[in-house]
Amino acid sequence: MEKKNYKNSKYYYNRELSWLRFNARVLSEARDENIPFFERIKFLSITSSNLDEFFMVRIASLKDMVHAGYEKEDIAGLTPGEQLKKLYKEVHEFVELQYDTYENMVRPGFEKSKLKLIEHHEDLNESEAKYIDDYFMREVYPVLTPMAVDSSRPFPLIMNKSLNIGALLSKKDKKEEFATVQVPSVLPRFIRVEDEAKGEIKLILLEEVIERNISKLFLGYDILCSAPYRIMRNADLTIEEEEAEDLLKEIEKQIKKRQWGEAIRLEVQSDIDKKLQSRLKEELGLHSDDIYKISGPIDLTFLMKVYGLDGFDSLKKKNLAPQSVPELPEGCDIFESIRKKDILLHHPYQSFTPVVRFIEQAANDKNVLAIKQTLYRVSGNSPIVKALMKAAENGKQVSVLVELKARFDEENNIVWAKMLEKAGCHVIYGLVGLKTHSKITLVVRKEQDGIRRYVHLGTGNYNDATAKLYTDLGLFTASESVGEDATAVFNMLSGYSEPLGWNKLSVAPLWLKKKLLKLIRRETEWARNNRPAKIVAKMNSLCDPDVIAALYEASSAGVEINLLIRGICCLKVGIEGVSENIHVRSIVGDFLEHSRIFYFENDHSPEVFLASADWMPRNLERRVEIMFPVEDKDLKEKVMHILDVQFKDNTKAHLLQPDGEYIKAVPGKDDAKVCCQEIFGQEEAEKLGKKKGEGSRVFIPKTSID
Amino acid sequence: MADKLFAAIDVGSFEMAMKIYEISSKKGMKEIEHVRHRLALGSDSYNSGKISFSKIDDLCDVLRKFSDIMASYHVTEYKAYGTSALRETENTLIIRDQIRNRTGIDVEVLSNSEQRFLDYKSVASRGAVFNRIIEQGTAIVDIGGGSIQISLFEKDTLVTTQSLRLGVLRLNDQVEHMRIVRDKRREQLDEMIQSQLGTFRKLYMKDREITNLIIVDDYVSRVMQSGVVPTSGDCIASSHDFMEFVSELSERGREELADKLEVPEEMVDYIEVSANIIRNIIESSGAVNIWAPGVTLCDGIAYEYAEKCKLKMIAHDFEKDILASAINISKRYMGSKKRAETISSIALELFDAMQSVHGMGTRERFLLQLASILHDCGKFINMTNVGECSYNIIMNTEMIGLSHDERQIVAYVVKFNHEPFAYYGEISSTSSLGRSEYLVIAKLTAILRIAGGLDKSHKDKMRKIKATLQDDKLVINFTGVQDIGYEKESFNKKAALFGEVFSIEPVIVQKKGE
Repeated sequence: MEKKNYKNSKYYYNRELSWLRFNARVLSEARDENIPFFERIKFLSITSSNLDEFFMVRIASLKDMVHAGYEKEDIAGLTPGEQLKKLYKEVHEFVELQYDTYENMVRPGFEKSKLKLIEHHEDLNESEAKYIDDYFMREVYPVLTPMAVDSSRPFPLIMNKSLNIGALLSKKDKKEEFATVQVPSVLPRFIRVEDEAKGEIKLILLEEVIERNISKLFLGYDILCSAPYRIMRNADLTIEEEEAEDLLKEIEKQIKKRQWGEAIRLEVQSDIDKKLQSRLKEELGLHSDDIYKISGPIDLTFLMKVYGLDGFDSLKKKNLAPQSVPELPEGCDIFESIRKKDILLHHPYQSFTPVVRFIEQAANDKNVLAIKQTLYRVSGNSPIVKALMKAAENGKQVSVLVELKARFDEENNIVWAKMLEKAGCHVIYGLVGLKTHSKITLVVRKEQDGIRRYVHLGTGNYNDATAKLYTDLGLFTASESVGEDATAVFNMLSGYSEPLGWNKLSVAPLWLKKKLLKLIRRETEWARNNRPAKIVAKMNSLCDPDVIAALYEASSAGVEINLLIRGICCLKVGIEGVSENIHVRSIVGDFLEHSRIFYFENDHSPEVFLASADWMPRNLERRVEIMFPVEDKDLKEKVMHILDVQFKDNTKAHLLQPDGEYIKAVPGKDDAKVCCQEIFGQEEAEKLGKKKGEGSRVFIPKTSID
Repeated sequence: MADKLFAAIDVGSFEMAMKIYEISSKKGMKEIEHVRHRLALGSDSYNSGKISFSKIDDLCDVLRKFSDIMASYHVTEYKAYGTSALRETENTLIIRDQIRNRTGIDVEVLSNSEQRFLDYKSVASRGAVFNRIIEQGTAIVDIGGGSIQISLFEKDTLVTTQSLRLGVLRLNDQVEHMRIVRDKRREQLDEMIQSQLGTFRKLYMKDREITNLIIVDDYVSRVMQSGVVPTSGDCIASSHDFMEFVSELSERGREELADKLEVPEEMVDYIEVSANIIRNIIESSGAVNIWAPGVTLCDGIAYEYAEKCKLKMIAHDFEKDILASAINISKRYMGSKKRAETISSIALELFDAMQSVHGMGTRERFLLQLASILHDCGKFINMTNVGECSYNIIMNTEMIGLSHDERQIVAYVVKFNHEPFAYYGEISSTSSLGRSEYLVIAKLTAILRIAGGLDKSHKDKMRKIKATLQDDKLVINFTGVQDIGYEKESFNKKAALFGEVFSIEPVIVQKKGE
């Protein structure tokens, strides 16, 4: 048989376009009328912040490549220029859909609710207008810095991601001038105006307040026109080195030609004055493709703040609060419990508190010698950081690897890393050239019968805040072989040579990918020998070409492959002779699906792994990641059950079609609705002997909107 | 009793390593931590004879990190040893002092035979498999950065050992230096290896049958442990399979091998050199089994510590090995086995009788036994200058299991058995021995001298003596009718030092009759 070239670019989707599909799935939640109104505005807000990040990282990176004359094709055979061209078209369409959602779903939603959003200051009544004008003079005016442009004053630097108001001014017979003022980011984006009589809350956006009072900023001028605008810059010096290792060198060469901080996106309201728009376009050196005309408020991320307003619980969905973990009841000796049996935690259905308690207990236990942990993204005021500091003060040896390169969290990370260091912890600030993405904690304890190691491994960050929103799995174990491996991981992170071998863990960037490919190929072999073979895998993104090619080969050999991929998926389903046996579904729900679970049938002796890594080149090749097996029989079943329920979901699942589109799963006529996230919540509650709706800590989930 | 925690540090020529063990008589040695750090100290020493400043900096950094790890386990007991890279540096003492001042860690430098003994102990610590293997003709091939050591066994006893300057780092540096293409590498390596191995074979391996090779190294052992070469349950490979592995090494590219063996690329070169050394030894010895237990110097250091703390029963009789080596050396230089036995038995009898006076222990008694066996090996070279020649033979022949100082004690005792005794001032100017070692030399020499005197005629007249201590006299009783005039005269001549050292007068009492 002729060997197929599974790396043929026609078998792959471009990752950026696939990402846009994901954002579209999030948007579809915002458009789903079965979902409470506030939840929908939250989803809409998420699409907006997602898109911002996409511009700053991905589009910026592609622009860099184009500037550098870099012509290498991606996995789908597209050059950076070709990708940008396709992206412009799709992003514009996406933004149109975003604002269609705003217009047709959000606006009517506000109409119906007791919360009103005043989009135009002209709509304020007299008393409201007075209140707002007072607010302007009191709170806003002092922090504004209006800037006019003339021959002696050049065009000012407009801050990245900032919202501004541009205006054209005139003074008697002089030539018209451009002026701009930044909408201060230190002030809340909207101001509350209450109408007690009607029991209504009205919100007005800050830019409207400023626009209304703009004449106060440019005294002696006539304001010809004014309009809000927002720009995004390629100001981020962190280059996504995703596709090309030689890119950095290329950019170094081109650095003189290149303008750091060039503008890459301009958002303006659709009714902006033409002259004003062309002035902005010209000054910022933008192409028409880079300009996005917005029919509604610019920057919808403020909707997340609206979501956070008190008093609208009836418009929100109530999820079960995280449940306590039966194996680790309050006040128990965590070490003793872990010694008895491995323990699996399923967040956010189960509480993250035991993980914090694990470190707190270690910090105060006189037999604990050392605590070692990797920290990637940590919440502000993190109880884990506090516990680690406490441990150092108690004389434990505490080593913490703080990943400074965690995107957008750099500053935050530096602050508490310094705190840790002050407290006497040994802090390693990441590794040169590698991001440390693994989530692992090691506690070394001196016990009666010698040294014993306790390990926590997770698929999600040590972040008590996101642990309430992300679905993740964590494993506690006192297994000697995992303990040895964990010690080796930390030794490697401290700069020692790799261990001579691993017992249980597979560590990226050196071993994980090989192990994965081996596991996939093993299934291929089983299938070829007509033995049971199956792969089920859940992850955030799949775009590693080697892994995808191995999956194609497995599929062609007859391996059944079921994938749960929330985000980017460069793999195509349903290609004849290549991927007919592969099914992909994406679950976009209230919680962000974040756990990575890999199941291999292995001829009736299944193996289950959890990991911190997606199947992306950056995870497998440029990050420190850990994949670990779940070996305890009960826990293995629990994990398999999680996969199983996710595949039964018919309310939040989107199924990838051979044409690259996703269609939403719908329950059949006689089928019950299955929402995996709700089921997991209920299951954990039931484990504690609580019936649905019982107990003070339990909220009642509503399955449909009234 | 709680387990003892012990850290063993190996400052090697291409890598520094530390292992931490829990040691208890119940559980034996349990490794709980193993860290390694690449640092090619050897390339400095072997090439320029000195270790550069920057390497010393690196070395101290690593040691400080090691001591952090030790602190994290609350380890207080440790032993740090440097091997050939530190040994072959001109400024060893200065470097040791710097290290001590900067890190607080005292790194002792092992002599070659001490290092090999620890490696040997690490192998022996594998107990059952080791004992089974050495039942057949066996060679331990201990491959280091600077040299290799081949030790041969005869019926479960190590009988001879030789060091050859064929270390992996050394050979690799030499071939790298030649800038030859990869294909030529193997040829060149073979040439270098065979030139030395040929001589060794002629002198030592000719009449021995060698079935098993035990490999101790930091290169091939690692990949063998990971199962690249098919092995039996005890990690023993057939030489056929091993040879296939070696040819695979030369056929595939460096990158491909690194991938396959799961090692960093530069390791591939070292593995290749080591594997080719082993291949050459297999070819010239005809060995059929290869055992790479994957032990390291650290294991030997911990074993030594466990022995010292009496935490572990000795599995193998190392003194028997040393004795066998000494007898073997004596044989090589045409010593009379019978006379050696006579002197040895007289000397030990005197030693035991004098126990309360000299206060020495069993190890010194053992050294006396060795000195007795080797008491005149130098006469093979020159009959009038026996002392000096014996001294040189002993100092240039390794006996695995004897420390450098111990070897020197034996050599001096044999020397002064023939030559006027030299006092401390003289000895200390030519050797590194301290006062206590000097006193041991004096006491053992005094005893060996009268033992030799008692057998001056070489006729074995006094084989059976009985010595007892009576006040300030050592009474040596022997029963026999022979005339012992000659012995008496030489005895009196030789007894002077004895009197001086012990303030005891030795007297011979002959009981005639029976």
